[in-house]
Amino acid sequence: MTSHKYDVVIVGSGASGGAVAYTLCKAGYKVAVLEKGRLIKRDEFSKDELAYCRRDIVTPNLFDEYHVIEEEVDGKWEATPTYDSGWSFWNGNVVGGSSNFMSGMLHRMHPDDFRLKSKYGEIKGANVVDWPISYADMEPYYLKAEEVVGISGKYEKHPFEPPRSTPDFTQPPTKENAVVKLLDKSCANLDIKSLVTARSVLSKNKGHREACYYSNFCGSYGCSSGAKGSSREALLMPALATGNLTLLSNSYVKLLHSSSKNAVDYAVVIDTVSGKEKRIEAKLFVVAAQAHESTRLLLNSANKFHPHGLGNSSGELGKNLIFSAGGSGQGELREESLKMIKFEELMQTGLFVNRSILDWYFVDHWWDGTFKGGSVEFMFEHQNIISRARKNNEEHGRLVWGSELGEKVTERFTKQKSIRFEIFNDWLPNDNCFVSLDKTHKDKYGMPVGKLRVGAHPQDLKVGKYIAKKCEKVLEEMGAKNIYSSVSPVPPQNLIAGGCRFGNDPETSILNKYCQSHDIPNLFVADASFMPTGGSVPYTWTIYANAFRVADQIVKVLEEKQIV
Amino acid sequence: MKRRNFLILGSVLSLSPYIDAKASNDFEKQFRKVKNLIAAVQSHMFPEGSKIPSASAMDVNTFLFETITHKSYDKDIRVFILEGAEELELQTKGRFLSMDTKEKEKALRTYENTSYGSNWLSRIMTVTMEGIFSDPVYGSNKKEAGWKALNAYGGLPRPKTRYVAL
Ligand SMILES: Cc1cc2nc3c(=O)[nH]c(=O)nc-3n(C[C@H](O)[C@H](O)[C@H](O)COP(=O)(O)OP(=O)(O)OC[C@H]3O[C@@H](n4cnc5c(N)ncnc54)[C@H](O)[C@@H]3O)c2cc1C
Ligand code: SF4
Repeated sequence: MTSHKYDVVIVGSGASGGAVAYTLCKAGYKVAVLEKGRLIKRDEFSKDELAYCRRDIVTPNLFDEYHVIEEEVDGKWEATPTYDSGWSFWNGNVVGGSSNFMSGMLHRMHPDDFRLKSKYGEIKGANVVDWPISYADMEPYYLKAEEVVGISGKYEKHPFEPPRSTPDFTQPPTKENAVVKLLDKSCANLDIKSLVTARSVLSKNKGHREACYYSNFCGSYGCSSGAKGSSREALLMPALATGNLTLLSNSYVKLLHSSSKNAVDYAVVIDTVSGKEKRIEAKLFVVAAQAHESTRLLLNSANKFHPHGLGNSSGELGKNLIFSAGGSGQGELREESLKMIKFEELMQTGLFVNRSILDWYFVDHWWDGTFKGGSVEFMFEHQNIISRARKNNEEHGRLVWGSELGEKVTERFTKQKSIRFEIFNDWLPNDNCFVSLDKTHKDKYGMPVGKLRVGAHPQDLKVGKYIAKKCEKVLEEMGAKNIYSSVSPVPPQNLIAGGCRFGNDPETSILNKYCQSHDIPNLFVADASFMPTGGSVPYTWTIYANAFRVADQIVKVLEEKQIV
Repeated sequence: MKRRNFLILGSVLSLSPYIDAKASNDFEKQFRKVKNLIAAVQSHMFPEGSKIPSASAMDVNTFLFETITHKSYDKDIRVFILEGAEELELQTKGRFLSMDTKEKEKALRTYENTSYGSNWLSRIMTVTMEGIFSDPVYGSNKKEAGWKALNAYGGLPRPKTRYVAL
């Protein structure tokens, strides 16, 4: 038996890596988390729009590290490196990963999302399968995430709201802007039920973390009170407090090395500051680098025992990548035509809109038909000042400048506030959406970059447009002006899953139902890569929950000495 | 989505000497040649007497220089900003600075007719707005004049250093 400094090495310190580290450290195991990014502490974060939203301060420079994106142009797949397009697929590469910067609107998946194929049958051109687990298996972990990460909300009965094992959230909902009165009333007029959104934001203090102070700049920013349920605040800090966690930032994992067919023995790591390479050994390895990068790492770890990538005897690695389909829309609530609430109330900053609609999650209508629909979130337009000032300053294809620009911009900021909706529906897994390695492009560490083909199924667009129409009606009812919406097959780069499907059959899936590699028992994948279908909600509650579930299994494997 | 292509095509200069202008004082030298021209364009877009602060009062030209020379700035766009200015200089036969407001308007609208020119003008507008509406720590948006004009303020905490001291 070899003795290792670490029981477990986790690649990636984001939502999923944090949940695994938390569980294992609490259970007494020695864990090393390898994170390629630097550490930005709570009190270093600020609301600097220029830094966080307009420069690559928390993500790699695209000339150093990038992806190649393949899009269909006139019937042909055209590949463009992201340094060329500026379309970054990085979402936050610092300790805590993208979870530092999320808006934190969370939903559980519906029980039927776990059995989409049985429920809705085959869809031509889509690779829909049932999950090997059910909602009942996940429910305790949704609850655990709610409590540990600190998710605030309010349970309301609704046909499409998943059942829960406790009556309500421990954290009440965050404070809301008066606009919800108008929104709720408008929905009610249309016979639509608006629900309070669950949010990974604390409404009350919790341990070392302070309640939200409604900073007005939440999504895309780090949180300065610890209210946001990022991996760094909610999971890594308590894990560090156990004394069992070694957090290695600035540590880029090039590949996982295996010197036999059935075990990984060390990670090959580059210190991003000194450039030095080292090996880090452990009994067990957990990959949690966010879906597209986890697949890339396993592909880059190919060796003579695993010629097509680690754990890829099925040939399925990288296939069935999914995003969150949908779109968004918005309208202006203008001073002169505002109903029900005062303009000053509307203009109050910081408070959340906190409303979602699940009425169209499953559509069964005499005229529209029966199909899987999606969910909707309402929010104010992002409050960033530079980007709002820069919007809509074109007329007849020409830039507006001079004093006319001054009029336009001040009007936009002081006479109206824009309300927005975002639609989330299933991105149907299909043969034109997958990750592979690019044959020529390498990152600055010499490793092939991930190539993402991002084809979407036409059904996704149909569903998105169906829901967008309904939402436009809601905005109209609210009295909003200049309403528009856009639903497109362009993937949101921050909501990624799939690529390492879990399933019971090693011939058609990469991971077993515990997200353990079918081929390599000491290898687990903890992020959203496992998801065969994504549900019609943003992923992160499910990512947290599943990572807690996977971590419990890892504890079991270690306890039972299945791996030594 | 090929950004680089549209940055390069359309300029008679095509990624000229600037790409090799590695050392920062080299770059500064290049910048100095077009500094006044860029400042004049900024002032034309953000004149005195508008409802938002003027380019000159906010010293956005300095901001622009410091921004595009910072390592966090896209190196292609940095070059593009200089080349686009030279291109305008060429098109106006070196007369832009001595033009009156009306002539400037005409020259810029003509420049805007090409997609290259329109991209360049749009970029100058973006960088200028970044100055006027970013945190005062970046040196423009003096006394929060930009924010005051919009009655919209940056969130707390404010940055203590530029770019999280990258
Ligand atoms: C602006 C924004 C808003 C969002 N809003 C929402 C929302 O409202 N609701 C919602 O559900 N979700 C939201 N999300 C998505 C959410 O943040 C992610 O789903 C979640 O963080 C993913 O967790 P993860 O563990 O898979 O990856 P991450 O949290 O991204 O963590 C992955 C980590 O792995 C590291 N890593 C990658 N490769 C390597 C390597 N080779 N070596 C070492 N380290 C590596 C990365 O640097 C990163 O830190 C949002 C995201 C963003 C960016
Ligand atoms: S204080 Fe509240 S609004 Fe601000 S970043 Fe934190 S959680 Fe978001």
